[in-house]
Amino acid sequence: MLDVGRHSNIELLAYSEVENISGEAGNFLATVRKKARYVDEDKCTGCGNCAAKCPTTVPDAFNEGLSNRKAIYSWFAQGIPSTFTIDTDYCRHFQGKKCGICQKSCQADAINFEQEDRLLELEVGAIIVATGYKVFDPTRIPEYRYNQIPNVLTSMEFERMLGASGPTEGHLERPSDRRIKNQIQDLEKKLQKAEKSLGKFEDEYQQDTETFYSEYKQDNYPEDKERKKWADKYEEYLGLKETLRPLLEQAENFKDASKLAFIQCVGSRDKRFFPFCSGYCCMHSIKEAIIAHEHDPETTSTIFGMDIRAVGKGFEEYKIRSQNSSNVFYKRARVAEITESPNKNPVLTYEDTKEQKVKSEEFELVILATACEPSSSTKPLAEILGIEINEFGFFQTDHKNPLDSTKPGIFICGCANDPMDIPESVAQASSASSRAVQVLTSLGGSGSDRVSKAS
Amino acid sequence: MNKDILIIGGGIAGIQSALDLAEMNYKVYLVESLPSIGGKMAQLDKTFPTNDCAI
Repeated sequence: MLDVGRHSNIELLAYSEVENISGEAGNFLATVRKKARYVDEDKCTGCGNCAAKCPTTVPDAFNEGLSNRKAIYSWFAQGIPSTFTIDTDYCRHFQGKKCGICQKSCQADAINFEQEDRLLELEVGAIIVATGYKVFDPTRIPEYRYNQIPNVLTSMEFERMLGASGPTEGHLERPSDRRIKNQIQDLEKKLQKAEKSLGKFEDEYQQDTETFYSEYKQDNYPEDKERKKWADKYEEYLGLKETLRPLLEQAENFKDASKLAFIQCVGSRDKRFFPFCSGYCCMHSIKEAIIAHEHDPETTSTIFGMDIRAVGKGFEEYKIRSQNSSNVFYKRARVAEITESPNKNPVLTYEDTKEQKVKSEEFELVILATACEPSSSTKPLAEILGIEINEFGFFQTDHKNPLDSTKPGIFICGCANDPMDIPESVAQASSASSRAVQVLTSLGGSGSDRVSKAS
Repeated sequence: MNKDILIIGGGIAGIQSALDLAEMNYKVYLVESLPSIGGKMAQLDKTFPTNDCAI
């Protein structure tokens, strides 16, 4: 990523979208909208002072909403470019409120609320489309209750949890436990505030709250509005303590999840959604199970699936290693339903096809190996480019030249083409580069120095 | 006839294409809709089958 930012032959247009394409191979004219970040790219040093001071918190999409970021943000810590961006949907300034705290805190004077989108016209000879994929939304499978049971996650959410820089710093805290911890934090903040206001009353009346309250209850201060406020505040304080106590007792028993279940083919190989195999999910689940075991050797993982597709260099060996040394078990089963036990653990009901019995088992976390769905930008981009998409919504390519779109000079690589893993995406990307150069060379243009030498 | 190349999408595939072409001395425009490049791969912790870091 760093190399992309530094390479003199690459002009990086981040936070930008292609609006229009005209022309043909060798002579395309592209209109690109460079969206306003409201932060000057040349001035911003990426120090993060603005985000530290910003008063507005927003769910962090990079962490799949498992943590919060600010309304002025960098997409992720090591992001290239490191320029911060203002999220106008949440920013107080753009919502018509008084703020401008980021502007005051920026030492580089980079915040510019007046910045506007810029339209760039680019003349290019070839186009490579590498727009990737979208994670399948498992709420479309109601029997898995993804939205209702907090301890049922997508594989991408679990991936973020495994990351040391992720929302749980690599600890497998059950999301239901995290919710209670957040509630505790909120209540503690409210308690502190209440204590502060009680303190003010105590100072004013030179009396401690408990003694005052017992006197108040004996009708000692009828019609005294100020003392009524004091008593109300104390009652609120007692109420908060009462709500907090059982939560604190619960939190004492919290521990990281160590019994995991992975459900394969969530949305793929399923005629209701996508009939195709998403390819990488078997290996992805095995990897997550191995990494979870590395974090805590007590961890056991059960992978529920029709079969495991470990097709690739070193993949089968990786699977065998997971069984031998990472406590990973494989069950040939399709999970029928996920329910929730009283202690918030998900319970899987499935048919064990080896024993031909319907069973149910409780796990601490369930991870759904979600399908690789065409990115939502695929269809509009296909219209802009004037190329076709296939029956599933991926870009249509030619069987004989698997990276060629339906229009000469436009090539498709990676998951925009079809579901695939990283090594395959990289191979396709290099291949698409070659195809682009081939086409430019065959068109006999002046080409780069090297191309003209070759011809 | 223009020799420059436009790449749409700054995930692992777009990054790889951009670097390959730039190394071959072609001028590349890399367009990414999000504030930073990296795509889905940047969200991954480790990669299979070597458990190497994704970033």
